[in-house]
Amino acid sequence: MKKFMTLLACCCFASSALASEAKLEAVKVGVDLQTVARGVDAVMNSCHSCHSLKYIKYHDLVNLGIDKSVVDTWRGDQPMDSAMLAQMSESDAVQAYGKAPPDLSLMAKARDGGASYVYSYLLGYYITPEGMSGNHIYPATKMPDILGISGITDEAGRAEAQGKARDIVSFLAWAADPDEQTRHKLGYYVLGYLFVLTFLLYLVKNQVWSKLK
Amino acid sequence: MPNRIIKWIDQRFPLTSFVKHELTGYPTPRNLSYWWNFGFLAGFVLMLQVATGIFLAMHYKADVALSFDSIQHIMRDVNYGWLLRYMHSTGASAFFFVIFVHMARTLYYGSYRAPRELLWWTGQGLLLLLMATAFMGYLLPWGQMSFWGATVITNLFQATPFYGEQVVIWLRGDYTVGDATLSRFFALHYLFPFIIIGAVIVHLVALHSVKSSNPSGIDLAAKDNIPFHPYFTIKDLYGLGLFLMVYCVFVFFMPNSLIEPANNIPANPMQTPNHIVPEWYFLPFYAILRSVPNMVGGVVAMGLSVMMFAFMPFLDRSRIPGGAHYRPIYRLQFYLFMLDMLVLGYVGYVPPTSQTMLIGQIATLCYFASFFLVPFISKVEERWLIKRGLPPQLMALMESESAGIAKRKLKPQRRKGDMA
Repeated sequence: MKKFMTLLACCCFASSALASEAKLEAVKVGVDLQTVARGVDAVMNSCHSCHSLKYIKYHDLVNLGIDKSVVDTWRGDQPMDSAMLAQMSESDAVQAYGKAPPDLSLMAKARDGGASYVYSYLLGYYITPEGMSGNHIYPATKMPDILGISGITDEAGRAEAQGKARDIVSFLAWAADPDEQTRHKLGYYVLGYLFVLTFLLYLVKNQVWSKLK
Repeated sequence: MPNRIIKWIDQRFPLTSFVKHELTGYPTPRNLSYWWNFGFLAGFVLMLQVATGIFLAMHYKADVALSFDSIQHIMRDVNYGWLLRYMHSTGASAFFFVIFVHMARTLYYGSYRAPRELLWWTGQGLLLLLMATAFMGYLLPWGQMSFWGATVITNLFQATPFYGEQVVIWLRGDYTVGDATLSRFFALHYLFPFIIIGAVIVHLVALHSVKSSNPSGIDLAAKDNIPFHPYFTIKDLYGLGLFLMVYCVFVFFMPNSLIEPANNIPANPMQTPNHIVPEWYFLPFYAILRSVPNMVGGVVAMGLSVMMFAFMPFLDRSRIPGGAHYRPIYRLQFYLFMLDMLVLGYVGYVPPTSQTMLIGQIATLCYFASFFLVPFISKVEERWLIKRGLPPQLMALMESESAGIAKRKLKPQRRKGDMA
């Protein structure tokens, strides 16, 4: 009886406990090259001056399918296999913002909500009544509103910012898990193989056990 | 020619008799259900973890400055490194899932009862080894959750009487979780699986001495036993195919669902995460730890909650065989216990509030009550069932079984007599 009460209580509280979490805007990241390429372009122009992507090398972008001449302009005189470190040094960043901006290589899976978190965060800026910049998702953020979302009032401008945020998030999702497409493709083959194998094993099992009676 | 080789070996090593005794002639109850597949699956996952782990160790660096990067090196630069790592991280969850089902089957069918107590206790030892191995392995990626999980859990050893502080330092090799901790956890994480393999052999020796239990809960007559090979080798392989399909869905399509997002942030001793959660398989025990307001009490309760299973052979006083099969009250108790585990798991997962604390405390009480009430409930249930009338064939089987147990008890006396 006690346990039934526990369960009942649990069901009642579960909904309220879940509702108190910050609401994220769900986003479906793009996996096509165009979206990811627009994303890397936006990241290079808006984020890379402060944020590093230390687990991504410039030649990874070329391998992904980004035009080599474009990658060459981004890397400047750095070699092709150097990591994508931020243009601003860490000590300068600490002086400017009070703390070092986090590396973005794994950002799309380093927060609860994953890509949706980053998307909601980028679009979560607003102007507080005191005229300061605030963020709904991460109130303590030191990062400026790079998409200018807090100043946008019209629907078209907002849609444009959403599109840009989605591009950025799509690239970050690729950066966090560059082998995802390969993994899915291989996964279908493996599951197909296992399905056939298991079915055959099932037939053999029936065959062997039929000898019993 | 092959016959001559086997003959040559047999004169020097008991190959044929071993295969006959343990495989082709090993008697297995023919009525085993698919719930009996999970022991084999546990052995398979153990081998999978050892195999993937050895290759991961070739690329991993156990150093606080390098370990997080070396995981990313495995994920990005090593050929199929992502596959190795996701197989290993998913394999840990698969191992616990399989073991939990294996244990639940033992509890449901009463397989822990005489004469299988030692078999059950070696299994209990394996559970502890598995938990220790998983806990140490979780530190190795050196993410935020790795670091803080290890900090919280090693801190619990402060509850050791008199030497608390020293024991914690001795475990960590330092005043805080650091490079010394990481190196030793890596060394032990590599060692423990081989201790587990040794313990599995002991578990199997015990199993082959008392033989498998079966859904009826009564040792079957010889005619109802069939050789392990080919009947159960093929059944286990078929079960393995089904298991691998589920496992591969996780490995290839949702491996990150089993990795806490905060563990993709490098360990930072200066910044505590908002909410420290262990892996899903430790959640019920973690909830019990948190439910007791006093730290020492919490540690004792958590330790006891894992060890309670070992007392089942003493706690279950009923002579009605068949575990939950012929015992409606025990069956109800079993399902309520499963439900209680889920409630505890939920409480362990959410951030503690006064509401979840209360739920956790009630669920903790229920957890221990479901063990400590077993002696009384099983006795009362037995009397009630006998009064109500058992099926006649069951009575006959019970008599033959109790005669069997009596015979076992007589054995040592007879041996003593022989010696005199």
